[in-house]
Amino acid sequence: MTALRRHRALTRVWASDPGWRGWCTTVSHTDLGRMFLTVAVFFFVTGGILAMLIRAQLASPRSAFVGPDVYNQLFTMHGVLMMFLFAIPLFEGLAIYLLPKMLGTRDLAFPRLTAYGFWCYVFGGAMMIFSLLAGIAPDSGWFMYPPLSSTLGAPGINSDFWLIGITFVEISAISAAVELTVTVLRYRAPGMTLSNMPIFAWYVLVTAVMILTGFPPLILGSVLLELERAFGMPFFQVAQGGDALLWQHLFWLFGHPEVYIIFLPAAGAISTILPVMARTRLMGYGWIVAASVSLGVLSFGLWVHHMFTTGIPHMGLAFFSAASTLVAVPTAVQIFAWIGTLWRGRPRLHLPMLWILAFFATFVIGGLTGVMVAVVPFDWQAHDTYFIVAHLHYVLVGGFVFPMLAALYYWMPHFIGRKPYFKLGTTAFWLIFTGFHGTFLLLHVAGLLGMRRRIDTFEAGQGWEVINIIASVMSFVMAIGFALVLIDVILNAVIAVRGSRNPWRAGTLDWAMPTPAAAYNFASLPHVTSREPLWDDPSLPAALARGEGYLGDPARQRRETLTVEPATGAPRYIVVFPANTAFPMGMAAITGLFFLGLLTKIYWLVPLAAAGVVACALRWAWTLGTRRPEGALPVGRGVSLPTASEVADPPGWWGSLFLLVADGTFYGSLLFGYAFLWTIAPNWPPPAYAEPGIWLAALAAAGAIFAPLGQRLNVPAGVGASVLGLLALGIAAAGVLRLAPDPTRHAYDATLWVLMGYGLLHLAVALLMTLFLAARRRAGFVSALAGGEARIVRLWVDYGTLVTVVSGLAAGLPGVLGSLSVGGAP
Amino acid sequence: MTAILRLSGPITLWLAGFCAVYGLHGLLCSSRWGALVAPGTGRALLIVAALAAVAAQGALLAALRRPHRGGDDPVIRKATLILAATALVASIWTLLPVAVTSHCL
Repeated sequence: MTALRRHRALTRVWASDPGWRGWCTTVSHTDLGRMFLTVAVFFFVTGGILAMLIRAQLASPRSAFVGPDVYNQLFTMHGVLMMFLFAIPLFEGLAIYLLPKMLGTRDLAFPRLTAYGFWCYVFGGAMMIFSLLAGIAPDSGWFMYPPLSSTLGAPGINSDFWLIGITFVEISAISAAVELTVTVLRYRAPGMTLSNMPIFAWYVLVTAVMILTGFPPLILGSVLLELERAFGMPFFQVAQGGDALLWQHLFWLFGHPEVYIIFLPAAGAISTILPVMARTRLMGYGWIVAASVSLGVLSFGLWVHHMFTTGIPHMGLAFFSAASTLVAVPTAVQIFAWIGTLWRGRPRLHLPMLWILAFFATFVIGGLTGVMVAVVPFDWQAHDTYFIVAHLHYVLVGGFVFPMLAALYYWMPHFIGRKPYFKLGTTAFWLIFTGFHGTFLLLHVAGLLGMRRRIDTFEAGQGWEVINIIASVMSFVMAIGFALVLIDVILNAVIAVRGSRNPWRAGTLDWAMPTPAAAYNFASLPHVTSREPLWDDPSLPAALARGEGYLGDPARQRRETLTVEPATGAPRYIVVFPANTAFPMGMAAITGLFFLGLLTKIYWLVPLAAAGVVACALRWAWTLGTRRPEGALPVGRGVSLPTASEVADPPGWWGSLFLLVADGTFYGSLLFGYAFLWTIAPNWPPPAYAEPGIWLAALAAAGAIFAPLGQRLNVPAGVGASVLGLLALGIAAAGVLRLAPDPTRHAYDATLWVLMGYGLLHLAVALLMTLFLAARRRAGFVSALAGGEARIVRLWVDYGTLVTVVSGLAAGLPGVLGSLSVGGAP
Repeated sequence: MTAILRLSGPITLWLAGFCAVYGLHGLLCSSRWGALVAPGTGRALLIVAALAAVAAQGALLAALRRPHRGGDDPVIRKATLILAATALVASIWTLLPVAVTSHCL
């Protein structure tokens, strides 16, 4: 078969639907990556317009451009759009587009999940934009501290948009994180060991795991605050046993890792682009891997440094001050590795390199002011001033936006398949760079002169006037620069001449394909033995196009790719991807109805939409796999492999495992919140603690034995035993709820409801999955009979059992200790 | 997966130890639980907990220095050892306040 005929045959199998229908039905990572990037840029532009309005208001003292109500919405939505709807989705879009291409595979692990996440992002983002246009946008700051954001401080619907809209959008982040993690670990070109992975993949892996463990505390906080606002469950009301500081802990448990979730992908882009610009290999690959992993984990030990002024004891402050200074070390390791790479190579000053230099200058300043605010006495002075505003913009714009602009100009030939023409881009660079520093450098001084954050206006005579007028003028210079970038991209996409493959002469696999990329990425999958396969074998793209790699024969007429062993890269099994479908978009729309019902308090819609989501999920899973065993199939290069339906660890198992990591972090955060209130909150103990008693304990114990045990018995009665065990656990959990009939009475009762509600939800999921598996077995699905699906269900049953038992113990513990007169019990 | 777990284990252990000592500090300084320990023993408990965290980190570093039965990729092994040493230094540095700062002030 010639390369052209192979291309046509593969395109017939992999192509998205033509025209506008393709936008709704595509499950291709290339399409969805581009769509993510486009929508993220839309939100960036919207957030940027809000920033201009903010600077217009603050240009002069006693400005009456907008009133305080509108101003509160402006600065809140600026932060919300930039952090939640631009930065994270832009990373997701870039990773979704690039990762399979860099790893030498044909798509991400779960293509329909990619599409579902995208549509959740679009619908959730639309909800936020609607609130802005309707003048009812969130107005309590992007961090939504209660009691400002609770019904006491914000009785309108504004805060609900934040809590519900952002939670909806976070479905997208969690979905992307699960599939990026599984993709990096399993969906690589055969032969690609961990140490041969492109450095960008390491950064994506670390970032994805950080999203899985960083976002759940925020989702929990949002759930708790919305429960308080909608149903009066007093988690943050001091008078009823709650504590507003709990929100700050939950928020910053997310919020500080979030900074690194934003920075690390940018660092990944730099580590990829910089060696190509310097025409050498990356110096210190192992050190950079270690630095990115340590940054990822260290960032979870810093959250309290956002709370230095809340009255925490000195020793607690010292812990987090020390950890905050420590984090500069792995950051510096990366920067020295990049400088070393430049030193060793022969750098070319193309536009991506200019942006990297801008990153160095800006991010290092932001990092150094970060070390300053890590020092407690300085932070006490600078907290909530414009010094912090300037610092965070240096870190986020310098550490994310500038590297992303480098990435835009580096991969633009890949996106559009045209030869880059950079004249306008260079002008835009100078406007943005000077505009940015002109805006924010002097704002450090304004902060040191005492200018507070979030003020809608200021009086003359405090020494802030000149700084603010300069900042406002320069911010418009920066905005003109960004507008030029947009025009530049459009011009390049429309009028630039067709480009050649691999214009930068890069070594990674993303350039081993024609551009723009074909729907299938690689006509055949490469066998990889080094980090820069194209430098080692420049003829590789032609060989792949000739079908000399794996899966080069499209005879089976379906979307196939390979998985590998995580460490060694040895090929394991074939995965058959789904075809184009509008199903994910429909399911995201129904998910949106669930959130809309909560937002508008049309509560009858909520269970209906939830049932719809469950029905969709069951339909989704039912369509997976086949009823006909295929055995080992040839994949090329003399290798034969089974399909995912016939193995014990199918992709779904890996996806479930990492979803449960996020779920477990959510639950761990809930237990932390409970312990925090019990330890710190005033107005404890509650009027009474629940004492489940011996019968409920016995019922729960029986359920905890039979539910998981039944899953492990390979006989039909095992299903019955497991179902009975799950039901027993559910009855016991409901029994505990009856002991605290009024969740609005005290934070303890409210927490108990959430703990047991969480357990009941997971028991219901486990029950549904158990029955679903039985139905699949009866229908003769190979994956249900081969054991892979049973392992997935076992995972969920074990987890549901564990959390219900732990919730029951946590609910009953105060009562037990109370009877022993321990822990301030009544 | 064991390579990934070995790589991420040491620094995750640091996070666990760090959070545990911070949590213990919170308990000891709370009006509700602090009364359960004898006066003056709070700091001693914190120092013991910090030393235990540092010792665990040292033991993990020593264990990871031994050759892995499955045979490690040299790059990943190097990164693992860098991370284990980093985690040990991080433990000492971030838990040092138990000995040098005021306790519950």
